[in-house]
Amino acid sequence: MAKEKTNRWLQPRRVAVLAMNTFTQLVRMKVFYFLMIFAIIALVAQFLDLPQYHGPEAVYTGELTLLKGWCMGVMKLFAVVFSITATALLLPKDVEDRTLYTILAKPVPRLDYLVGKLAGVLLLIFISLAVMDGIMTAVLAIRTDQLLEGQMFLAQSRGWTAEAIESMRAEISMQGPTWSLQAGVLSIFLLSAIVGAVSLLLSTFSTSTLFTIIVSFLCFLAGFFQADAAEFYRATAEAGTTTFGSLVMKAVALVFPNYQLFNVTDAAIQGLPVSGMAVLVLLGLTVFYVVLYTLLSWFVFSDKEF
Amino acid sequence: MTQLAVDIRHLVKDFRSPLRGVKAFRAVDGVSIQIQAGEVYGLIGPNGSGKSTTMKALLGLVAPTSGSCSIYGKDSMKVDSRNDVGFLPENPYFYKHLTGAETLRFYGKLCDIRGKVLEARVDELLELVDLRDARDRRLGGYSKGMLQRIGLAQAMIQDPRLLILDEPTAGVDPIGSRQIRDLILKLRDQGKTVFLCSHLLEQVQEVCDHVGIIFQGKMVKEGRLEDLISLEDQTEIVLKDADEALVEEIRGLVERTGHASLVRTGRPRTTLERLFLQETQGNQPVKGGEK
Ligand SMILES: Nc1ncnc2c1ncn2[C@@H]1O[C@H](COP(=O)(O)OP(=O)(O)OP(=O)(O)O)[C@@H](O)[C@H]1O
Ligand SMILES: [Mg+2]
Repeated sequence: MAKEKTNRWLQPRRVAVLAMNTFTQLVRMKVFYFLMIFAIIALVAQFLDLPQYHGPEAVYTGELTLLKGWCMGVMKLFAVVFSITATALLLPKDVEDRTLYTILAKPVPRLDYLVGKLAGVLLLIFISLAVMDGIMTAVLAIRTDQLLEGQMFLAQSRGWTAEAIESMRAEISMQGPTWSLQAGVLSIFLLSAIVGAVSLLLSTFSTSTLFTIIVSFLCFLAGFFQADAAEFYRATAEAGTTTFGSLVMKAVALVFPNYQLFNVTDAAIQGLPVSGMAVLVLLGLTVFYVVLYTLLSWFVFSDKEF
Repeated sequence: MTQLAVDIRHLVKDFRSPLRGVKAFRAVDGVSIQIQAGEVYGLIGPNGSGKSTTMKALLGLVAPTSGSCSIYGKDSMKVDSRNDVGFLPENPYFYKHLTGAETLRFYGKLCDIRGKVLEARVDELLELVDLRDARDRRLGGYSKGMLQRIGLAQAMIQDPRLLILDEPTAGVDPIGSRQIRDLILKLRDQGKTVFLCSHLLEQVQEVCDHVGIIFQGKMVKEGRLEDLISLEDQTEIVLKDADEALVEEIRGLVERTGHASLVRTGRPRTTLERLFLQETQGNQPVKGGEK
């Protein structure tokens, strides 16, 4: 070992090793199987509930919207819950088991360790979401085809004009598997990335896992409601009162991302188009907050003693 | 001048109490340790005297309150100082979800060893610490001594010049304990530097060139083992088949010289450890602790 090695931060291979280790650690945890099986059963249950026709007058795309809403709900729940709990559990576990000693006693910068942990959790969420997305898209495609077939048959037997049939076809396929739907799923992943980074930050200075999990969920809710609250306080501020509350809200708005921006899932569920621009904004926002929180975590973690 | 493997200067470490107003607890108080490359240094002292804390400071796991630590001239608070060091913490504990071989692979990759070199190294180390049979078992099912062994293998994965071992033989059976002792001696022959602490004084005595005794955070005695333990004014004579009369004659001889005195006579005993080894190895020749 004559040659001198210098260890730069964020060496991709080292981070990848740490991330893969976290990934296998999570996969081999029974909790993960449990969650994953639950999520898949929840998705497949929708498929077993066979479509019933209520005649052409009923809102025939309603069941597709319902299906998408259900699936996206399950995916969001899985992603957020898993992101918070997994991130909150992993770090204190390493400290408690003193596994961390042996890792940090190797030439591993602390930043790499943190990034590796977060990346491992996110990798797992990404793959799980991709699997669930695959199931959802397949189910949706089949159901859309069925619906389309049935409605076409009905329309033709009633002698609709070609134009009317075409517009109905367009309307139905918009509720089927579309790119906006994929954008919706992506936004769920991005949301879980931010939530995970918040959880990571909290776990670097909290002393109990339970505390981390609870506060992470509170932060998640704060991020969700801050837009509403900010709106409310802006209204009161315009009415001439600067309350203490409005100041607090401004601070909160700085620290917490506005999670309502991630509600493009709703648009995707409604079958409305999601613009590429909106996706880019979300992507930028996610990168910004994840980097911010990770740097803050590092700031706390680099002075930590074990 | 050859570079010091370990250079700890006036290390002081205070642990602040989470309660305000309570005075900080001084775990290490002005300890200085210099270890030359190729030496085996043993740190001994009662429980809570600051041995592990000193080692952690040397590895940058805790920041010194004052003083400095460096490994081969590199400051311990910098990541680069850890290139050439292997650490076995006390009561090591690893990822339960990994098997023995996977654990070593993981640490190897962290040290930037890959591919065939890594595989060969993993096999070699598993062989060395006698865990071949357990290579594909998860660590969740390892016993305490097995964990200790895998920890030792993990510390040596990148073939570092310096090994820091915090109680390497804790929880290891006498055969394994002796294997570890032999291993340390072998490492010394290879020119590696070892910094260890242990409560098994007999073992420390067997392997260390230098010894430091630490008590309540302070270094109370330090030096070459030879100088510390040899009783300069005594000479040992061990006789075989000597009868009572001969012993009496010798006693008389000693008394007649006037200036010397006979301190004790009796039968030297084999140590319990030796007896245990004899018995256990006699019944299980396959285990073969000694090579
Ligand atoms: N993280 C910590 N926070 C507070 N006090 C600590 C911490 N780590 C160690 N100490 C204290 O520092 C002192 C020295 O501890 P250390 O672990 O270095 O002892 P040791 O010599 O290794 O003992 P042992 O032989 O039992 O392993 C102890 O009194 C311990 O309570
Ligand atoms: Mg100790």
